[in-house]
Amino acid sequence: MSEHQAARRSRRETVTYASALGDRPVPPPRPRPRTPHPPARSEIDEQTTLGHTYVRSLMRSQLRAALTALGALVLLVGPLPLLLALPAPETLVWAALGFGAYPVVWAVAHWYVRRAERNERDFTGLVETGSAETGSAETGSAGTGPVGTGSVGTGSVER
Amino acid sequence: MNQTYAVAAVTSVVLATVLIGALGLRISRTTSDFYVASRTVRPALNAAAISGEYLSAASFLGIAGLVLVQGPAMLWYPVGYTAGYLVLLVLVAAPLRRSGAYTLSDFAEARLESRRARRLASLLVVGIGWLYLLPQLQGAGLTLEILTGAPDWVGGLLVALVVTGTVAAGGMRSITFVQAFQYWLKLTALLVPALFLLAAWYGDGAPRARFDAPAVLRDHTVVRIADTVRIGLAAPLTVTVTGSVDSVAYTGRTVTLAPGAHHVLGGTSLAFAPGSTLPERAADGSDPLGWSQPLAGGRDGHQLYATYGLILATFLGTMGLPHVAVRFYTSPHGRAARRTTLVVLGLVGAFYLLPGLYGALGRIYAPELALTGSADAAVLVLPDRILGGLLGDLLGALLAAGAFAAFLSTASGLTMSVAGVLTQDVLPSRASSRGVRHFRLATLLATAVPLAVGVVASKVPVADAVGLAFAVSASSFCPLLVLGIWWRRLTPPGAMAGLLLGGGSALAAVMATRAGLAPEGWAHTLMAWPAVWSVPLGFLTMVLVSLATPRRIPPGTPAILARLHLPEEITGAAPAQEARR
Amino acid sequence: MSGIALAAAAAAGAVLLAAGFVLGRSAARRGGRAADADLGTPVERATFHTLHTASLAAPPLRAGLTEETARKAARTLRSLLGTEALCLTDRGAVLAWDGPGEDHHRAHVPEQAAETLATGRSRSVHSGCDDPACPLRWAVIAPLTGEDGVLGALVAYGSRESAVLVRAATEVARWVSVQLELAELDRSRTRMVEAEIRALRAQISPHFIFNSLAAIASFVRTDPERARELLLEFADFTRYSFRKHGEFAQLADELRSIEQYLALAGARFGDRLKVTLQIAPEVLPVTLPFLCLQPLVENAVKHGLQERERGCRVTIAARDAGAEAVVTVEDDGIGMDPERLRAVLRGEHPAGSGIGLSNVDERLRQVYGAEHGLVIETGVGAGMKVTVRIPKYRPGVHPSAP
Repeated sequence: MSEHQAARRSRRETVTYASALGDRPVPPPRPRPRTPHPPARSEIDEQTTLGHTYVRSLMRSQLRAALTALGALVLLVGPLPLLLALPAPETLVWAALGFGAYPVVWAVAHWYVRRAERNERDFTGLVETGSAETGSAETGSAGTGPVGTGSVGTGSVER
Repeated sequence: MNQTYAVAAVTSVVLATVLIGALGLRISRTTSDFYVASRTVRPALNAAAISGEYLSAASFLGIAGLVLVQGPAMLWYPVGYTAGYLVLLVLVAAPLRRSGAYTLSDFAEARLESRRARRLASLLVVGIGWLYLLPQLQGAGLTLEILTGAPDWVGGLLVALVVTGTVAAGGMRSITFVQAFQYWLKLTALLVPALFLLAAWYGDGAPRARFDAPAVLRDHTVVRIADTVRIGLAAPLTVTVTGSVDSVAYTGRTVTLAPGAHHVLGGTSLAFAPGSTLPERAADGSDPLGWSQPLAGGRDGHQLYATYGLILATFLGTMGLPHVAVRFYTSPHGRAARRTTLVVLGLVGAFYLLPGLYGALGRIYAPELALTGSADAAVLVLPDRILGGLLGDLLGALLAAGAFAAFLSTASGLTMSVAGVLTQDVLPSRASSRGVRHFRLATLLATAVPLAVGVVASKVPVADAVGLAFAVSASSFCPLLVLGIWWRRLTPPGAMAGLLLGGGSALAAVMATRAGLAPEGWAHTLMAWPAVWSVPLGFLTMVLVSLATPRRIPPGTPAILARLHLPEEITGAAPAQEARR
Repeated sequence: MSGIALAAAAAAGAVLLAAGFVLGRSAARRGGRAADADLGTPVERATFHTLHTASLAAPPLRAGLTEETARKAARTLRSLLGTEALCLTDRGAVLAWDGPGEDHHRAHVPEQAAETLATGRSRSVHSGCDDPACPLRWAVIAPLTGEDGVLGALVAYGSRESAVLVRAATEVARWVSVQLELAELDRSRTRMVEAEIRALRAQISPHFIFNSLAAIASFVRTDPERARELLLEFADFTRYSFRKHGEFAQLADELRSIEQYLALAGARFGDRLKVTLQIAPEVLPVTLPFLCLQPLVENAVKHGLQERERGCRVTIAARDAGAEAVVTVEDDGIGMDPERLRAVLRGEHPAGSGIGLSNVDERLRQVYGAEHGLVIETGVGAGMKVTVRIPKYRPGVHPSAP
C-alpha cells in the first residue's frame, strides 16, 4: 500500500447510522416486512409444515441407522471391560485397546455414513421424483380401470 | 537433557503462533481465482483442523504417563476420546450443522426458542471450557518444568499469555488452516521420535514391558522424590539415601529397607543399583496418582465401575466440548459434516496409537517416573533416556515443540469459544459496550480463571483432569443434543432442569473430588467417575420434566426438527456453488 | 479376585448371548422384510407413482377452465374414471368431449346440465339415447365449482346405472373443483411474485443490466467464446438476483453472485478495474440477508471508476471473528462527503446516490439490531471502506433455496 493511499485513508471519517442521527431522536424501527415465520413463505416452509410425516419417516430411518451403529458399538466395546477383567494375558489388553478398537470404530462409522447418506438419497428420491416427471403428463391415459384400483398410470412410470 | 534445543524449539513454536496470530493467515485471491476463494472447506481439511484442535497435549502426555504407571487398562482413555466421535457422528454431526448454530448456546436457543435456556447453556460451556483449559495449562507447566527446571506455574502462565494475546489481538484469522497444520505437526512430532525409539528398542533386544510385576531398573538410577510419598516394599531393598526416610535423615548413606511401608519425604534422593526392583507407590486417597488407581484394578468392583464411568464420559462427552461444536459450522452442509467426522475418526485414531507406545517404552526405560510423580513427562524424557546424545536431544526438542504446539492450539480454540460465549451471554452488556474491548476482557477472563484455579487446586494426572471435563459435558450437553435432535417433546423447562441436574451434579462431584472433599472408598470412586450416574440423571430429568410440561413445547419444534434432518437438497440451504463448472 | 472374575465371566457370557440373539433376530427379520418401512416398500412406491400419475391431470386444469385445458384434462379424467365417455362444460357451452358418441350426444348436454349448473347439485339421469348400439345409456352430471360458485359441469356416461359411476363422477368433479380453485390462487400468487421481482429489480441498477448486455454484445463479433461465457455469467447472475423467494442466503452464494457481477463489470471496464479478495473459508457458510453485499460492491465499483482514468482497486475481505464474520468492501475511488452520506443513511436522499447503502444498512439493522448497521469510513477523495459485522447465528435467520 503506497504512502499516497495511506494519506488518503487518514482523511476518512467514520459514518454509521448512529452518527448520522447525531442528537436527533432515534426513529422507531420500521416493522420488518416479513417476520421470521411468515404465514405463506415459499415451498420450503410449506414442506416443513405439510410434510411432518415425511420428516418423521426420515427421522425414524436415520434414528434406526444411528441406533444400529450405537448397538454395534455397545455390543463390541461394552463387554470388553468385563472380558478384560478376567485374568487375561496382557497382550490381549494391548491388542484390544491399543490397536484393535480403532479399526472397529472406524468401520462402524463408515457403515453409518453410507447408510445415512443412502437414507437421505432415498428420501430425496421419494419426495422429488414426482416433480421431475411432470413432463410425462398425459402418458397414463390408456388405462380404463375403475377409480382407485391403483393400476392407473403405473405404465408410464415403468417406461 | 540438553535444554538449549528444547528451549529453542518451544520458543520458535511460541513465536510462530504469535506471528500467525498477529499477521493473520489469509488467503488472498484476485478475481480470476474467485472460485477458489469462495469454495467452502473440504471435509479432509476441516477434519484435520478439528483433530488438530482436539488432540490436546494434556491428553497424549497424560495417557503415556498413566500407561507407564498403571498399565494398558489406561488405554481406555484414547479409545474413549476416539469413539466419542463415533457417537457424535451417528447422533449429532449432521443435524448440528443443519441447525445453523455456531456455539452450543446457539443450538439451545435455536431448538428451545428460549433465552434462558441459552444463558444456562452458556454457563455450562464456560464451565466445561475452564475444566478443559485447566489440564492444558497444568500440562504446559509440567512440560516446561521438565525441559528447563522452571517452577511449574511458569509454563501455564506462558501459554495463557500467548493465547490471550493472540486471541485478543484478533484471533487466529483463518483458524482452519492453522489447526489443520497443527494436527500434522503433532503427528510428526510424535511419530518420528517413536520410529527412532522403536528402532532403538528393537536393537536393544526388544525387552517386554511388564506391568504385572514391579519394574526392574536397568541402570544405576537416582530418583529425586518431588512430593512426599509412601512406598510399599515386598522384599528388602538396598538404596543410597540423601534426605529423609521414615523420619530418619540420611546423607548419602546406603541403607537396606525392610519389607513393608515406608515414608519418603519430599526432596529426598534415592540411588538404586542396576537390577534393583523399583518400589511401588502405596496409594491412598490424598495421593494424586491414586486417582486412576481404581481403573487399573485392585479394589473389588471399583475397577469395572471406573472403567464404565470413563467409557460413558468419553463416548458421550466429546459432542459437548465447546471447541469441537464450533468447528462443525465450517462444513458447508450436513453431509459434509458427517464425512468430516468420519475423517476425524481416522485421524484421531491414528494419532492415539502412539501415546500407548510411549507409555510402554517408558515402563521399560524410565519406570522411576512413577515414583517421582512426573509420569506425565514420560514422552519428553524418553529420547534422552533411550537414544541419548545429539539425536536424543533433537528428538526431545521435536517432542517438546509438538507438545507446546498442542497446548497452544487446544488452549486457543477453547479460549476463543469460552471468550465468545462470555462476550455474548455472560458478561453484562449494552449495545454500545459490545465489540472489541468487551471481547478482550472476556479473553482475559477465559484464561485467568483456569490459571488461578490451577495454582490452587490439587494436582491430578492431566489425563484424569481431561476426563473430568468430559464427564460434565456428557451429563449436560449430551442429553440436550441427543434429545433436542431426536425427541420432539423436549421443552425448555425440561432441558434446563436436565442441564442443571445432570451437568450440575457432575460438576459438583468433580469439583468436590478435585478439592479433596470426597470421602474414602466407594464414595470417592462414585464422585471421581460421575458419568455412570450423572448421564442417566441428566437424560431422565430432561425427559420427565419435559413430559410434565407439555404446554411448553416450543411452537417451532416441527419446523426446526425438519431443518435438522432434511437434506439440504430439499431445504435448499446448501451453497449452490457446486452446481456449475 | 476370583469371585470378581467369575462374575465378570458370567456377565460377559450373558452379554455375548444377548448379542447373538439380537443379531440372529435382526438377520431373520431382514430376510422377511427387505425394505425400510418408513421410506417405502417397492409396492408402496409403485402406488405412490400411480397416484402421482393420476395427479398429472391437474396441471392443465391449474390454468383455469378453458376449451384447451378441458380438452387436455378430459382424456386423463376419463381414464381415471374408467367410463365410456366424458364431457366437460362451462356455464354456457360444451368445452370438451372424450370418448365415443359425441355425434349424437353432444347436442343434448347443455339442456341436461342446465339444472346442475343452476342448483349446483349432481344428477344421475338416463342418457335418453335411442340408438341400441350406443354404449352411453346413463349419465351422471356433477357440478364443477370455484370460489365464485358453479363454473361448469362434468358429465360422465356409463353403459348402465351404477353406484360406482355416481360415486366416481362426483369424487372426480370434487377433485377438479379443487384444482380450479387452486388455479385462481395460482393467478393471485403469480401477481405477487411479479411484484416481488419488480421490487428486486429495483435493487439492481437497470444501468448495470443495459451496460452488461452492451458489453456482451461488443464481444459477440470479436470474441464469441468470451461473449458466450459472459452471457452465461449474466444468466446466472440474474437468475440468482431474481430468485423468487427467501430472505436469506449463504455468504458463499452471495460471493458467487458478486463474482459474476465483477466478471460482467470487468468486461466493461477491462484492466481499469482491479479486485482483491481475502476470504476466510470458515465464514462461507454464514447466513446473511439476500443481496446485501452486492450493492456495496456495485457502489465501490461505481465510486472507484468515476472521473478517473487510471482505474481503481476494490478489496473485498471476509474474516472470521469468533461468533461473527466481518466483511469489508473497500475502494480507492472518489469517496463521499460524510455529511451527505449521513443524510443518505437518515433516509434523506439529497442527490439520489447511495440509496443502495442506505437500503442495506436498514436491512442489516432490522435483522441483527442497531449495532450491526454499516460502518463506513470515507471522505471526499479518500476512497471508502464499508464494514459489515454478521453474527454467525441469529434465531430466525436461515438460508433458503436459491
